[in-house]
Amino acid sequence: MAGGYPPEVDLLRHLGFFRAVADVRHFGDAAADLGMTQPPLSQGIRRLERHLGVRLFDRDARGVRITAAGQQLLPAARDLLDAADDLVSAARDLALPEQVRLGIAADLEDAVPGLLRDLAAGGTAVAPTVAGSVELVDLLRDGLLDVGVVRHPGVHDGLTAGEVLVVPTRLVGADSTSLGHITLPVAVPPRHHQPPAHDQLVDALRRAGHSGAVVEARDAAQRRALVAAGTAVGLVPVVDGAAEPGCPPLRLRVVLPHVTRRRPEVDHDAVAAAIAAGLG
Amino acid sequence: MTPTIPDTVATLRDIARDAGVTAHVHATRLTGPAGTTSLADTEPVAVASLYKLPLALVWADLVAEGRLAADQPVRLAAPNRMPGPTGVAMLLDDVTLSTRDAVRLMLAVSDNACGDAVLDLVGRDRAHAHLTRLGLPATLVRQGSAEETRAVLRDTGTDGWAAAQRVLADPDRAAETSQYDPALASAATAAQLGQVLRLLWSRPGPTHDTVRDALAHQAWRHRIGSGFPHDDVLLLGKTGTLGRLRHEAAVVRFPHEHPVGVVVLTRAARPERHLPRVDAAIGELARVAVGPLRLADDE
Repeated sequence: MAGGYPPEVDLLRHLGFFRAVADVRHFGDAAADLGMTQPPLSQGIRRLERHLGVRLFDRDARGVRITAAGQQLLPAARDLLDAADDLVSAARDLALPEQVRLGIAADLEDAVPGLLRDLAAGGTAVAPTVAGSVELVDLLRDGLLDVGVVRHPGVHDGLTAGEVLVVPTRLVGADSTSLGHITLPVAVPPRHHQPPAHDQLVDALRRAGHSGAVVEARDAAQRRALVAAGTAVGLVPVVDGAAEPGCPPLRLRVVLPHVTRRRPEVDHDAVAAAIAAGLG
Repeated sequence: MTPTIPDTVATLRDIARDAGVTAHVHATRLTGPAGTTSLADTEPVAVASLYKLPLALVWADLVAEGRLAADQPVRLAAPNRMPGPTGVAMLLDDVTLSTRDAVRLMLAVSDNACGDAVLDLVGRDRAHAHLTRLGLPATLVRQGSAEETRAVLRDTGTDGWAAAQRVLADPDRAAETSQYDPALASAATAAQLGQVLRLLWSRPGPTHDTVRDALAHQAWRHRIGSGFPHDDVLLLGKTGTLGRLRHEAAVVRFPHEHPVGVVVLTRAARPERHLPRVDAAIGELARVAVGPLRLADDE
């Protein structure tokens, strides 16, 4: 190198050049794959060859051929590059604290994607967990979630809860819009997801003239299947659109860890407000 | 003391979770060898009308000591009474009755007017001094029913009990009141109320008999009583109810067995006034807590 300085080799970067050229056996194509022009690629390969003290490629009129030495070094180069990729992605996982660990009650069904899109549009990066409310409350207590949207009413001692959010619902798969005229059972999440909320819904169904018969289905897909098969009706939340008067609403609350147990890098109140706005 | 069997505690927790309540439970054998079952029984809880139980103990002790007369007449003039759901508090005209009858109505039907009158007669300072001497906290009787009612009206922004109850029972909001807060309302732990029962059952004499007999006449048996649906099992109890709070302290007497005192304090997740499932869960909690303590009284 001019001036007697050591060769300017960025080992991982230049090994990346090596791998790219070895893969396609063409400098121009490799440069295109790497999103660069050919001269700096060729220069990088030359520097790497000088640094390693071996020739990696033979260039002649027929094209580019990898040398025997290059062939021998290629696996080690790939290992190094893969290890570097692993390191970067492991670091990215460790950087997850930047994300809000959000628990969402499975009862929200089709409203979940919209809620997450709203949060993303508002600049909140979210690592979502969809589960039953009792499980989410346990995760919040154990410090494994930052924010939970759980079904109300439920027990959440030791946590702080916001206002009750009342989300209207509508019937699906029913031949009447009046609960009193429906003879099929209602497909609902398992009672153990939030027993008091489940019991409150059954009471509300009876109050409206329905028998209160329900089928507990483990997830939304199972509930949709039951409705499609005509063995149950569905009762689904309507975040924006046509709700049906007379259908018991889905009640939710945003639940946060106690103030002293919140991760400082998360703006809990802002996330809670965004969720309330999205569901309100 | 017999240590609480871990399985019993797990069962109590499961019952509470299934019913959607936070529960505090203390059960204790009142005679014979000591034995206790407990779940979170040292955590202070707002007790609502259960303040009337320690108040009755203090009143009976003062009568037994000759400081109060059991037959002293009490005049409850209608305009001075805070209206309530039962007893003299739901009557329309002036009432005069003896103190011991006021105590009996205060316990058997949780009469708020009588509760306030007995507290006036005993005096809050004297009640607190006596409770302190008994090793019980003065917070057991921080205030009477009229004050509790006024606080709930203030907290809910209402001017009548029916309207206040509608606010507290609204499923679309999470209404709070200072009367749910053990720092502001009459408050106790389940273990302390168990100690009240123990003291009440350790006192011989006609005045304390009057109190025990009034508890046997409690007008409802839907809570702890629902766990013991046996006509030959005597239940002597006192409930406390306010919004989401549902409590009872009772003595369960199986024939030929040592009496067992049991205290169940609950706070429901659901706000509605009528929750038969929660009342039944209180019976279930009591049954599970009392079960391991049952012992024939010839042992």
